Amino acid sequence: MNPVGTQPTISLIDVATYLPENRVPAEWYTQYSGDDSLRDNPMFRPPDFRHHAAIDESNVDMIERAVAALTERHGSGVLGEVDILLTHSQLPDLPILGAGGEVAARLGINPEWIVDVHNGGCAAFVLMLKLARQLLTSGAGRTALIAVAQNSAGKIFEQEQVRKLAQASVPGDGAAVGLVTLSDASPVLDIECRYFGKHAADMTLAADPARRWWESGSGQGYVGFNEGKIIKVLARGNRQVPQAVRAVCDRIGVKTGDLDLLVTNQPNRLLLRNWDEALGLPPERHRDTFHECGNMFAVAIPVNFEAAVLDGQIGAGDIVMMAGFAHAGDFAGAAAIQWGGTRT
Amino acid sequence: MTLPALEDITAHGGADPIPGLMRVETSPKEKATPILLEMIHAVYPHDDVFGEFCTVNQFIDCPPDELYEYLADARSLEEWTYSTRGFTPTEEDGLWRAYDLLGDDTEIYTRTVVNRESRTVDYHCAWDQGRHLWMIYLMRVVDAQLVLNKPGSVVLWTNCRHPFYDDNPFPETAPPQRPAWVGDLWDMFGPGHLLELKNLKAIAEYRHHNGLPVTPDWMRAS
Repeated sequence: MNPVGTQPTISLIDVATYLPENRVPAEWYTQYSGDDSLRDNPMFRPPDFRHHAAIDESNVDMIERAVAALTERHGSGVLGEVDILLTHSQLPDLPILGAGGEVAARLGINPEWIVDVHNGGCAAFVLMLKLARQLLTSGAGRTALIAVAQNSAGKIFEQEQVRKLAQASVPGDGAAVGLVTLSDASPVLDIECRYFGKHAADMTLAADPARRWWESGSGQGYVGFNEGKIIKVLARGNRQVPQAVRAVCDRIGVKTGDLDLLVTNQPNRLLLRNWDEALGLPPERHRDTFHECGNMFAVAIPVNFEAAVLDGQIGAGDIVMMAGFAHAGDFAGAAAIQWGGTRT
Repeated sequence: MTLPALEDITAHGGADPIPGLMRVETSPKEKATPILLEMIHAVYPHDDVFGEFCTVNQFIDCPPDELYEYLADARSLEEWTYSTRGFTPTEEDGLWRAYDLLGDDTEIYTRTVVNRESRTVDYHCAWDQGRHLWMIYLMRVVDAQLVLNKPGSVVLWTNCRHPFYDDNPFPETAPPQRPAWVGDLWDMFGPGHLLELKNLKAIAEYRHHNGLPVTPDWMRAS
Protein backbone atom coordinates (compact mmCIF):
# COMPACT_ATOMS: atom_id res chain seq x y z
CA MET A 1 0.00 0.00 0.00
CA ASN A 2 1.33 3.38 -0.93
CA PRO A 3 -1.23 5.95 0.19
CA VAL A 4 0.68 9.07 -0.70
CA GLY A 5 1.28 8.47 -4.35
CA THR A 6 4.90 8.06 -5.29
CA GLN A 7 6.23 8.99 -1.86
CA PRO A 8 7.84 5.99 -0.18
CA THR A 9 5.94 4.48 2.72
CA ILE A 10 7.12 4.36 6.29
CA SER A 11 6.04 1.76 8.81
CA LEU A 12 5.64 1.65 12.54
CA ILE A 13 7.14 -1.79 13.03
CA ASP A 14 6.88 -2.10 16.80
CA VAL A 15 6.57 -0.22 20.05
CA ALA A 16 8.12 -1.09 23.39
CA THR A 17 7.23 0.44 26.70
CA TYR A 18 8.44 0.76 30.26
CA LEU A 19 6.40 1.42 33.39
CA PRO A 20 8.23 2.13 36.67
CA GLU A 21 7.81 -0.54 39.33
CA ASN A 22 6.35 1.82 41.91
CA ARG A 23 2.57 1.41 41.43
CA VAL A 24 0.79 4.07 43.45
CA PRO A 25 -2.87 3.67 44.44
CA ALA A 26 -5.31 6.57 44.56
CA GLU A 27 -5.36 6.26 48.35
CA TRP A 28 -1.79 7.49 48.46
CA TYR A 29 -3.16 10.95 47.70
CA THR A 30 -6.08 10.93 50.06
CA GLN A 31 -3.70 10.87 53.02
CA TYR A 32 -2.37 14.22 51.86
CA SER A 33 -5.52 15.59 50.35
CA GLY A 34 -5.92 19.19 51.20
CA ASP A 35 -8.83 21.43 50.47
CA ASP A 36 -8.11 22.13 46.81
CA SER A 37 -11.37 23.41 45.37
CA LEU A 38 -10.65 21.41 42.19
CA ARG A 39 -10.60 18.10 44.11
CA ASP A 40 -13.93 16.85 42.81
CA ASN A 41 -13.41 18.26 39.34
CA PRO A 42 -13.82 15.48 36.77
CA MET A 43 -10.77 16.79 34.92
CA PHE A 44 -8.76 15.65 37.95
CA ARG A 45 -10.68 12.59 39.14
CA PRO A 46 -7.88 10.20 40.08
CA PRO A 47 -7.17 6.92 38.31
CA ASP A 48 -7.07 3.79 40.47
CA PHE A 49 -3.31 3.49 39.98
CA ARG A 50 -0.41 5.24 38.34
CA HIS A 51 3.30 4.44 38.24
CA HIS A 52 5.89 6.77 39.69
CA ALA A 53 9.44 7.03 38.47
CA ALA A 54 12.01 7.02 41.23
CA ILE A 55 13.26 10.42 42.26
CA ASP A 56 16.62 9.84 40.60
CA GLU A 57 15.26 7.95 37.58
CA SER A 58 15.86 10.11 34.53
CA ASN A 59 14.11 10.27 31.16
CA VAL A 60 17.19 8.66 29.71
CA ASP A 61 16.98 5.78 32.22
CA MET A 62 13.36 5.20 31.33
CA ILE A 63 13.92 5.32 27.59
CA GLU A 64 16.83 2.92 27.97
CA ARG A 65 14.54 0.50 29.79
CA ALA A 66 11.90 0.74 27.06
CA VAL A 67 14.58 0.14 24.41
CA ALA A 68 15.67 -3.01 26.29
CA ALA A 69 12.24 -4.50 25.60
CA LEU A 70 12.62 -3.62 21.94
CA THR A 71 16.05 -5.17 21.52
CA GLU A 72 14.84 -8.27 23.33
CA ARG A 73 12.47 -8.86 20.45
CA HIS A 74 14.45 -7.51 17.51
CA GLY A 75 18.00 -8.22 18.68
CA SER A 76 20.54 -5.60 19.65
CA GLY A 77 21.53 -5.36 16.00
CA VAL A 78 18.43 -3.28 15.37
CA LEU A 79 20.03 -0.33 17.17
CA GLY A 80 22.96 -0.34 14.77
CA GLU A 81 20.50 0.39 11.95
CA VAL A 82 19.09 3.55 13.58
CA ASP A 83 19.78 6.60 11.45
CA ILE A 84 17.39 8.93 13.24
CA LEU A 85 16.78 9.27 16.97
CA LEU A 86 13.92 11.48 18.13
CA THR A 87 13.23 12.02 21.83
CA HIS A 88 10.57 13.84 23.79
CA SER A 89 9.85 14.55 27.43
CA GLN A 90 7.68 17.27 28.85
CA LEU A 91 9.96 17.45 31.89
CA PRO A 92 13.53 17.26 30.57
CA ASP A 93 16.15 16.00 32.99
CA LEU A 94 17.81 19.37 32.56
CA PRO A 95 16.00 22.30 30.95
CA ILE A 96 19.10 23.12 28.97
CA LEU A 97 19.27 19.97 26.90
CA GLY A 98 17.08 17.13 25.81
CA ALA A 99 17.61 13.42 26.24
CA GLY A 100 18.78 12.57 22.71
CA GLY A 101 22.52 12.81 23.15
CA GLU A 102 22.65 10.81 26.34
CA VAL A 103 20.20 8.21 25.01
CA ALA A 104 22.42 7.67 21.96
CA ALA A 105 25.45 7.29 24.21
CA ARG A 106 23.69 4.78 26.48
CA LEU A 107 22.53 2.76 23.50
CA GLY A 108 25.98 2.90 21.97
CA ILE A 109 24.72 4.37 18.73
CA ASN A 110 25.71 7.41 16.76
CA PRO A 111 22.90 8.17 14.33
CA GLU A 112 23.12 10.83 11.66
CA TRP A 113 20.09 12.60 13.14
CA ILE A 114 19.36 13.24 16.82
CA VAL A 115 16.47 15.61 17.48
CA ASP A 116 14.91 16.44 20.85
CA VAL A 117 11.30 17.31 20.11
CA HIS A 118 10.03 19.70 22.72
CA ASN A 119 6.61 20.51 21.25
CA GLY A 120 3.76 18.15 20.51
CA GLY A 121 3.06 17.63 24.22
CA CYS A 122 0.65 14.77 24.83
CA ALA A 123 0.41 14.22 21.06
CA ALA A 124 4.19 14.26 20.54
CA PHE A 125 4.19 10.64 19.33
CA VAL A 126 2.11 11.71 16.33
CA LEU A 127 4.31 14.72 15.63
CA MET A 128 7.43 12.52 15.88
CA LEU A 129 5.93 10.01 13.45
CA LYS A 130 5.44 12.84 11.00
CA LEU A 131 8.94 14.11 11.56
CA ALA A 132 10.32 10.60 11.10
CA ARG A 133 8.31 10.23 7.90
CA GLN A 134 9.68 13.48 6.55
CA LEU A 135 13.26 12.55 7.38
CA LEU A 136 13.03 8.97 6.16
CA THR A 137 11.28 9.79 2.92
CA SER A 138 13.73 12.57 2.12
CA GLY A 139 16.75 10.33 2.33
CA ALA A 140 17.90 10.75 5.93
CA GLY A 141 18.13 7.02 6.43
CA ARG A 142 16.14 3.81 6.67
CA THR A 143 15.34 3.47 10.38
CA ALA A 144 14.14 5.89 13.05
CA LEU A 145 13.80 5.32 16.77
CA ILE A 146 11.26 7.60 18.41
CA ALA A 147 11.34 7.79 22.19
CA VAL A 148 8.95 9.45 24.62
CA ALA A 149 9.28 9.64 28.39
CA GLN A 150 7.21 11.12 31.18
CA ASN A 151 8.51 11.26 34.71
CA SER A 152 6.85 14.22 36.36
CA ALA A 153 4.47 12.14 38.50
CA GLY A 154 7.22 10.82 40.73
CA LYS A 155 8.98 14.16 40.81
CA ILE A 156 6.91 17.36 40.52
CA PHE A 157 3.66 15.83 41.71
CA GLU A 158 5.13 13.97 44.67
CA GLN A 159 6.41 17.15 46.26
CA GLU A 160 5.05 17.86 49.70
CA GLN A 161 3.05 20.93 48.68
CA VAL A 162 2.02 19.74 45.24
CA ARG A 163 0.75 16.27 46.18
CA LYS A 164 -2.08 17.92 48.11
CA LEU A 165 -3.47 19.37 44.88
CA ALA A 166 -6.20 17.66 42.89
CA GLN A 167 -4.02 17.74 39.76
CA ALA A 168 -1.28 15.66 41.48
CA SER A 169 -3.24 12.41 41.57
CA VAL A 170 -3.71 12.17 37.79
CA PRO A 171 -0.25 11.97 36.15
CA GLY A 172 1.61 8.69 35.82
CA ASP A 173 5.10 7.93 34.61
CA GLY A 174 6.41 5.72 31.85
CA ALA A 175 8.37 5.61 28.63
CA ALA A 176 7.90 4.17 25.18
CA VAL A 177 9.84 3.78 21.98
CA GLY A 178 8.66 3.21 18.46
CA LEU A 179 10.64 1.57 15.67
CA VAL A 180 9.94 3.26 12.34
CA THR A 181 11.38 2.10 9.06
CA LEU A 182 11.24 2.89 5.38
CA SER A 183 9.01 -0.01 4.36
CA ASP A 184 5.42 -0.94 3.75
CA ALA A 185 5.26 -3.72 6.32
CA SER A 186 3.07 -1.78 8.78
CA PRO A 187 2.32 1.41 6.92
CA VAL A 188 1.62 4.83 8.34
CA LEU A 189 -1.31 5.75 6.08
CA ASP A 190 -1.59 9.42 6.83
CA ILE A 191 -0.85 12.04 9.48
CA GLU A 192 -2.51 15.32 10.39
CA CYS A 193 -0.77 17.85 12.63
CA ARG A 194 -2.43 21.11 13.55
CA TYR A 195 -0.96 23.99 15.52
CA PHE A 196 -2.96 26.47 17.57
CA GLY A 197 -0.20 28.78 18.68
CA LYS A 198 -2.56 31.27 20.26
CA HIS A 199 -3.26 28.76 23.04
CA ALA A 200 0.40 28.13 23.84
CA ALA A 201 0.61 30.85 26.48
CA ASP A 202 -2.26 29.25 28.40
CA MET A 203 0.14 26.56 29.58
CA THR A 204 1.55 27.97 32.80
CA LEU A 205 3.45 26.87 35.87
CA ALA A 206 2.55 28.33 39.21
CA ALA A 207 3.98 28.46 42.73
CA ASP A 208 2.89 30.00 46.02
CA PRO A 209 4.28 32.57 46.55
CA ALA A 210 4.52 33.32 42.84
CA ARG A 211 7.92 33.19 41.14
CA ARG A 212 9.43 32.47 37.76
CA TRP A 213 10.07 28.75 37.33
CA TRP A 214 13.83 29.21 37.32
CA GLU A 215 13.88 31.47 40.36
CA SER A 216 14.39 29.92 43.76
CA GLY A 217 11.66 30.25 46.34
CA SER A 218 9.74 28.42 49.00
CA GLY A 219 6.77 27.51 46.83
CA GLN A 220 6.92 24.27 44.86
CA GLY A 221 5.96 24.52 41.21
CA TYR A 222 2.76 23.03 39.83
CA VAL A 223 0.56 23.43 36.76
CA GLY A 224 -1.41 26.67 36.73
CA PHE A 225 -5.10 25.79 36.51
CA ASN A 226 -8.28 27.60 37.31
CA GLU A 227 -11.88 26.86 36.54
CA GLY A 228 -12.05 29.03 33.45
CA LYS A 229 -8.91 27.50 32.00
CA ILE A 230 -10.15 23.97 32.68
CA ILE A 231 -13.33 24.58 30.73
CA LYS A 232 -11.43 26.16 27.86
CA VAL A 233 -8.96 23.28 27.68
CA LEU A 234 -11.79 20.74 27.85
CA ALA A 235 -13.61 22.49 25.02
CA ARG A 236 -10.45 22.64 22.90
CA GLY A 237 -9.74 18.96 23.46
CA ASN A 238 -13.36 18.11 22.66
CA ARG A 239 -13.00 19.90 19.33
CA GLN A 240 -9.42 19.43 18.20
CA VAL A 241 -8.94 15.69 18.56
CA PRO A 242 -12.09 14.59 16.69
CA GLN A 243 -11.32 17.15 13.97
CA ALA A 244 -7.79 15.84 13.47
CA VAL A 245 -9.04 12.24 13.43
CA ARG A 246 -11.77 13.09 10.94
CA ALA A 247 -9.32 14.86 8.64
CA VAL A 248 -7.18 11.71 8.47
CA CYS A 249 -10.22 9.43 8.14
CA ASP A 250 -11.53 11.48 5.22
CA ARG A 251 -8.23 11.20 3.39
CA ILE A 252 -7.77 7.47 3.90
CA GLY A 253 -11.43 6.78 3.16
CA VAL A 254 -12.36 5.18 6.49
CA LYS A 255 -15.38 6.18 8.57
CA THR A 256 -14.41 7.17 12.12
CA GLY A 257 -16.83 4.61 13.49
CA ASP A 258 -15.12 1.89 11.44
CA LEU A 259 -11.67 2.38 12.96
CA ASP A 260 -10.45 -0.89 14.45
CA LEU A 261 -8.64 0.91 17.24
CA LEU A 262 -8.26 4.42 18.55
CA VAL A 263 -5.49 5.26 20.99
CA THR A 264 -5.18 8.74 22.41
CA ASN A 265 -3.57 10.65 25.18
CA GLN A 266 -5.60 10.20 28.35
CA PRO A 267 -5.88 13.40 30.38
CA ASN A 268 -9.08 12.24 32.11
CA ARG A 269 -12.11 10.03 31.62
CA LEU A 270 -14.27 12.92 30.48
CA LEU A 271 -12.27 13.60 27.33
CA LEU A 272 -12.04 9.87 26.57
CA ARG A 273 -15.84 9.68 26.74
CA ASN A 274 -16.36 12.80 24.67
CA TRP A 275 -14.01 11.63 21.91
CA ASP A 276 -15.81 8.29 21.62
CA GLU A 277 -19.11 10.08 21.29
CA ALA A 278 -17.80 12.60 18.80
CA LEU A 279 -16.30 9.90 16.58
CA GLY A 280 -19.19 7.46 16.95
CA LEU A 281 -16.78 4.82 18.20
CA PRO A 282 -17.75 2.19 20.79
CA PRO A 283 -15.63 2.74 23.94
CA GLU A 284 -14.11 -0.75 23.72
CA ARG A 285 -12.40 0.18 20.46
CA HIS A 286 -10.89 3.26 22.12
CA ARG A 287 -8.26 1.52 24.19
CA ASP A 288 -7.01 3.36 27.25
CA THR A 289 -4.99 2.53 30.35
CA PHE A 290 -6.14 5.49 32.42
CA HIS A 291 -7.25 3.37 35.40
CA GLU A 292 -3.81 1.72 35.62
CA CYS A 293 -1.45 4.43 34.41
CA GLY A 294 -3.15 7.81 34.75
CA ASN A 295 -2.24 10.68 32.47
CA MET A 296 1.03 9.69 30.87
CA PHE A 297 1.19 12.69 28.59
CA ALA A 298 2.99 11.72 25.35
CA VAL A 299 3.59 8.15 26.53
CA ALA A 300 -0.09 7.18 26.61
CA ILE A 301 -0.50 6.70 22.85
CA PRO A 302 2.22 4.04 22.46
CA VAL A 303 1.38 2.40 25.82
CA ASN A 304 -2.28 2.09 24.86
CA PHE A 305 -1.33 0.80 21.43
CA GLU A 306 0.91 -1.85 22.95
CA ALA A 307 -1.87 -2.90 25.32
CA ALA A 308 -4.10 -3.61 22.33
CA VAL A 309 -1.33 -5.50 20.51
CA LEU A 310 -0.46 -7.58 23.58
CA ASP A 311 -3.89 -8.98 24.21
CA GLY A 312 -4.71 -9.45 20.55
CA GLN A 313 -7.32 -6.70 20.34
CA ILE A 314 -5.81 -5.80 16.99
CA GLY A 315 -4.22 -7.98 14.38
CA ALA A 316 -2.50 -7.60 11.03
CA GLY A 317 -4.41 -5.37 8.64
CA ASP A 318 -6.35 -3.46 11.28
CA ILE A 319 -6.60 0.31 11.00
CA VAL A 320 -5.29 2.06 14.09
CA MET A 321 -5.74 5.76 14.76
CA MET A 322 -3.33 7.50 17.12
CA ALA A 323 -4.48 10.94 18.22
CA GLY A 324 -4.16 13.54 20.90
CA PHE A 325 -3.79 17.17 21.80
CA ALA A 326 -1.13 19.09 23.68
CA HIS A 327 -0.80 21.39 26.65
CA ALA A 328 -3.68 23.87 26.82
CA GLY A 329 -4.67 23.08 23.24
CA ASP A 330 -1.74 24.48 21.22
CA PHE A 331 -1.34 21.36 19.08
CA ALA A 332 -3.38 18.38 17.95
CA GLY A 333 -2.45 15.45 15.79
CA ALA A 334 -3.73 12.18 14.40
CA ALA A 335 -1.95 9.38 12.57
CA ALA A 336 -3.48 6.33 10.93
CA ILE A 337 -1.56 3.09 10.70
CA GLN A 338 -2.48 -0.16 9.07
CA TRP A 339 -0.94 -2.42 11.66
CA GLY A 340 1.18 -5.06 10.01
CA GLY A 341 1.36 -7.45 12.94
CA THR A 342 5.09 -6.84 12.73
CA ARG A 343 5.78 -7.36 16.41
CA THR A 344 7.96 -10.46 16.53
CA MET B 1 -29.32 41.42 53.78
CA THR B 2 -30.90 38.59 51.83
CA LEU B 3 -34.40 38.18 50.48
CA PRO B 4 -36.59 35.45 51.95
CA ALA B 5 -35.94 33.20 48.96
CA LEU B 6 -37.80 29.85 49.05
CA GLU B 7 -39.02 30.63 52.57
CA ASP B 8 -42.51 29.37 51.74
CA ILE B 9 -41.22 26.04 50.44
CA THR B 10 -38.98 25.52 53.47
CA ALA B 11 -41.89 26.32 55.77
CA HIS B 12 -44.06 23.91 53.84
CA GLY B 13 -41.69 20.98 53.30
CA GLY B 14 -38.79 21.26 55.78
CA ALA B 15 -35.10 21.95 55.25
CA ASP B 16 -34.59 20.08 51.95
CA PRO B 17 -37.98 19.72 50.34
CA ILE B 18 -36.84 19.82 46.69
CA PRO B 19 -34.12 17.29 45.97
CA GLY B 20 -31.71 18.17 43.20
CA LEU B 21 -32.06 21.93 43.53
CA MET B 22 -28.72 23.48 42.57
CA ARG B 23 -28.16 26.80 44.33
CA VAL B 24 -24.86 28.21 45.49
CA GLU B 25 -25.88 28.05 49.16
CA THR B 26 -26.31 24.27 49.16
CA SER B 27 -24.23 23.39 46.08
CA PRO B 28 -21.04 25.46 46.25
CA LYS B 29 -18.91 25.79 43.14
CA GLU B 30 -16.76 22.76 44.02
CA LYS B 31 -19.93 20.68 43.98
CA ALA B 32 -21.59 22.27 40.99
CA THR B 33 -18.61 22.50 38.63
CA PRO B 34 -18.03 18.73 38.38
CA ILE B 35 -21.68 18.25 37.52
CA LEU B 36 -21.48 20.92 34.85
CA LEU B 37 -18.28 19.52 33.36
CA GLU B 38 -19.84 16.07 33.12
CA MET B 39 -22.62 17.70 31.14
CA ILE B 40 -20.22 19.13 28.57
CA HIS B 41 -19.89 16.78 25.60
CA ALA B 42 -18.06 17.18 22.32
CA VAL B 43 -21.22 16.27 20.39
CA TYR B 44 -24.88 15.94 21.31
CA PRO B 45 -27.38 13.48 19.88
CA HIS B 46 -29.93 15.10 17.56
CA ASP B 47 -32.74 14.01 19.85
CA ASP B 48 -31.17 15.69 22.90
CA VAL B 49 -30.99 18.93 20.97
CA PHE B 50 -34.23 18.84 18.96
CA GLY B 51 -36.29 16.13 20.63
CA GLU B 52 -38.80 18.07 22.72
CA PHE B 53 -38.04 21.66 21.82
CA CYS B 54 -36.77 22.83 18.49
CA THR B 55 -34.86 26.08 18.67
CA VAL B 56 -33.00 27.84 15.87
CA ASN B 57 -31.46 31.31 15.96
CA GLN B 58 -29.98 33.64 13.41
CA PHE B 59 -28.41 37.07 13.02
CA ILE B 60 -30.05 39.14 10.29
CA ASP B 61 -28.53 42.38 9.08
CA CYS B 62 -31.68 44.50 8.99
CA PRO B 63 -33.27 46.87 11.54
CA PRO B 64 -35.24 44.97 14.20
CA ASP B 65 -38.40 47.07 14.01
CA GLU B 66 -38.64 46.61 10.26
CA LEU B 67 -38.07 42.87 10.57
CA TYR B 68 -40.70 42.68 13.29
CA GLU B 69 -43.23 44.51 11.09
CA TYR B 70 -42.59 42.07 8.28
CA LEU B 71 -42.88 38.94 10.42
CA ALA B 72 -45.97 40.24 12.19
CA ASP B 73 -47.85 39.94 8.90
CA ALA B 74 -48.77 36.29 8.41
CA ARG B 75 -48.41 36.71 4.65
CA SER B 76 -44.61 37.04 5.07
CA LEU B 77 -44.76 33.25 5.44
CA GLU B 78 -45.65 33.15 1.74
CA GLU B 79 -42.10 34.37 1.08
CA TRP B 80 -39.72 32.94 3.63
CA THR B 81 -41.16 29.56 4.54
CA TYR B 82 -40.27 26.54 2.47
CA SER B 83 -43.77 25.42 1.60
CA THR B 84 -46.70 27.49 2.91
CA ARG B 85 -48.35 29.24 -0.05
CA GLY B 86 -51.56 30.91 -1.14
CA PHE B 87 -52.50 32.88 1.97
CA THR B 88 -56.04 34.14 1.86
CA PRO B 89 -58.14 35.69 4.63
CA THR B 90 -60.97 33.62 6.14
CA GLU B 91 -64.26 34.80 7.49
CA GLU B 92 -62.71 34.86 10.93
CA ASP B 93 -60.80 38.06 11.64
CA GLY B 94 -57.00 37.55 11.58
CA LEU B 95 -57.20 33.90 10.57
CA TRP B 96 -55.46 33.02 7.30
CA ARG B 97 -55.89 29.95 5.16
CA ALA B 98 -53.02 28.69 2.99
CA TYR B 99 -51.66 25.44 1.58
CA ASP B 100 -48.72 23.57 3.03
CA LEU B 101 -47.15 22.01 -0.01
CA LEU B 102 -45.31 19.57 2.27
CA GLY B 103 -48.58 17.69 2.57
CA ASP B 104 -50.72 16.53 -0.33
CA ASP B 105 -53.66 18.89 -0.73
CA THR B 106 -53.13 20.17 2.78
CA GLU B 107 -54.60 23.36 4.17
CA ILE B 108 -52.79 25.26 6.90
CA TYR B 109 -54.49 27.86 9.08
CA THR B 110 -52.49 30.65 10.70
CA ARG B 111 -53.08 33.48 13.14
CA THR B 112 -50.36 35.79 14.45
CA VAL B 113 -50.23 36.81 18.11
CA VAL B 114 -47.78 39.67 18.43
CA ASN B 115 -46.31 42.14 20.88
CA ARG B 116 -44.65 45.16 19.37
CA GLU B 117 -42.80 46.24 22.50
CA SER B 118 -40.96 42.95 22.97
CA ARG B 119 -41.07 42.21 19.22
CA THR B 120 -42.57 38.78 19.68
CA VAL B 121 -44.40 37.15 16.79
CA ASP B 122 -46.13 33.87 17.56
CA TYR B 123 -47.59 31.99 14.64
CA HIS B 124 -50.50 29.87 15.85
CA CYS B 125 -51.10 27.31 13.14
CA ALA B 126 -52.69 23.97 12.37
CA TRP B 127 -52.97 21.66 9.43
CA ASP B 128 -56.42 20.92 8.01
CA GLN B 129 -58.60 22.95 10.40
CA GLY B 130 -58.69 26.44 11.91
CA ARG B 131 -60.63 25.77 15.12
CA HIS B 132 -57.73 24.61 17.29
CA LEU B 133 -54.42 26.21 16.36
CA TRP B 134 -51.90 24.03 18.19
CA MET B 135 -48.74 24.26 16.02
CA ILE B 136 -47.22 27.32 17.62
CA TYR B 137 -44.01 28.91 16.38
CA LEU B 138 -42.63 31.33 18.94
CA MET B 139 -40.38 33.99 17.45
CA ARG B 140 -38.71 37.02 18.90
CA VAL B 141 -36.72 39.73 17.17
CA VAL B 142 -34.02 41.20 19.38
CA ASP B 143 -32.02 44.36 18.66
CA ALA B 144 -28.55 43.05 17.81
CA GLN B 145 -27.05 46.26 19.16
CA LEU B 146 -27.99 45.09 22.63
CA VAL B 147 -26.94 41.47 22.41
CA LEU B 148 -24.14 41.46 19.82
CA ASN B 149 -23.00 45.07 19.95
CA LYS B 150 -23.68 45.58 16.26
CA PRO B 151 -26.61 46.88 14.23
CA GLY B 152 -29.17 44.38 13.01
CA SER B 153 -31.53 41.78 14.39
CA VAL B 154 -31.24 38.50 16.18
CA VAL B 155 -34.17 36.16 15.58
CA LEU B 156 -34.96 33.51 18.19
CA TRP B 157 -37.38 30.78 17.12
CA THR B 158 -38.67 27.91 19.22
CA ASN B 159 -41.21 25.23 18.51
CA CYS B 160 -42.48 22.86 21.21
CA ARG B 161 -43.39 19.24 20.56
CA HIS B 162 -47.13 19.42 21.13
CA PRO B 163 -48.61 15.93 21.67
CA PHE B 164 -50.73 16.39 18.53
CA TYR B 165 -47.52 16.11 16.49
CA ASP B 166 -47.41 12.45 17.50
CA ASP B 167 -51.13 11.79 17.12
CA ASN B 168 -53.52 13.75 14.89
CA PRO B 169 -56.61 14.42 17.00
CA PHE B 170 -58.63 15.58 13.99
CA PRO B 171 -58.21 12.73 11.50
CA GLU B 172 -61.60 13.51 10.01
CA THR B 173 -60.27 16.85 8.73
CA ALA B 174 -57.36 15.28 6.84
CA PRO B 175 -57.60 14.75 3.11
CA PRO B 176 -58.22 11.07 2.40
CA GLN B 177 -55.15 8.92 1.71
CA ARG B 178 -52.68 11.63 2.71
CA PRO B 179 -49.61 9.55 3.50
CA ALA B 180 -47.82 11.81 6.00
CA TRP B 181 -48.86 13.73 9.11
CA VAL B 182 -47.03 16.92 9.99
CA GLY B 183 -45.67 15.39 13.19
CA ASP B 184 -43.99 12.59 11.20
CA LEU B 185 -41.58 15.28 10.07
CA TRP B 186 -40.69 16.48 13.58
CA ASP B 187 -37.08 15.30 13.32
CA MET B 188 -36.65 17.48 10.24
CA PHE B 189 -37.85 20.58 12.02
CA GLY B 190 -34.42 21.61 13.35
CA PRO B 191 -32.73 21.66 9.95
CA GLY B 192 -35.99 22.62 8.21
CA HIS B 193 -36.57 25.68 10.35
CA LEU B 194 -32.94 26.70 10.04
CA LEU B 195 -33.31 26.51 6.28
CA GLU B 196 -36.35 28.76 6.47
CA LEU B 197 -34.62 31.14 8.85
CA LYS B 198 -31.83 31.42 6.29
CA ASN B 199 -34.47 32.22 3.68
CA LEU B 200 -35.71 34.98 5.97
CA LYS B 201 -32.18 36.28 6.40
CA ALA B 202 -31.48 36.27 2.67
CA ILE B 203 -34.74 38.06 1.81
CA ALA B 204 -34.60 40.67 4.58
CA GLU B 205 -30.92 41.42 4.03
CA TYR B 206 -31.41 41.75 0.27
CA ARG B 207 -34.19 44.30 0.76
CA HIS B 208 -32.31 46.18 3.47
CA HIS B 209 -29.03 46.28 1.55
CA ASN B 210 -30.75 47.42 -1.64
CA GLY B 211 -32.91 50.14 -0.15
CA LEU B 212 -36.17 48.23 -0.54
CA PRO B 213 -38.69 48.23 2.29
CA VAL B 214 -38.42 44.98 4.28
CA THR B 215 -42.18 44.65 4.12
CA PRO B 216 -42.94 44.73 0.37
CA ASP B 217 -45.50 47.05 -1.14
CA TRP B 218 -47.98 44.30 -1.95
CA MET B 219 -48.18 43.41 1.73
CA ARG B 220 -48.54 47.01 2.85
CA ALA B 221 -51.18 47.82 0.25
CA SER B 222 -53.88 45.65 1.75
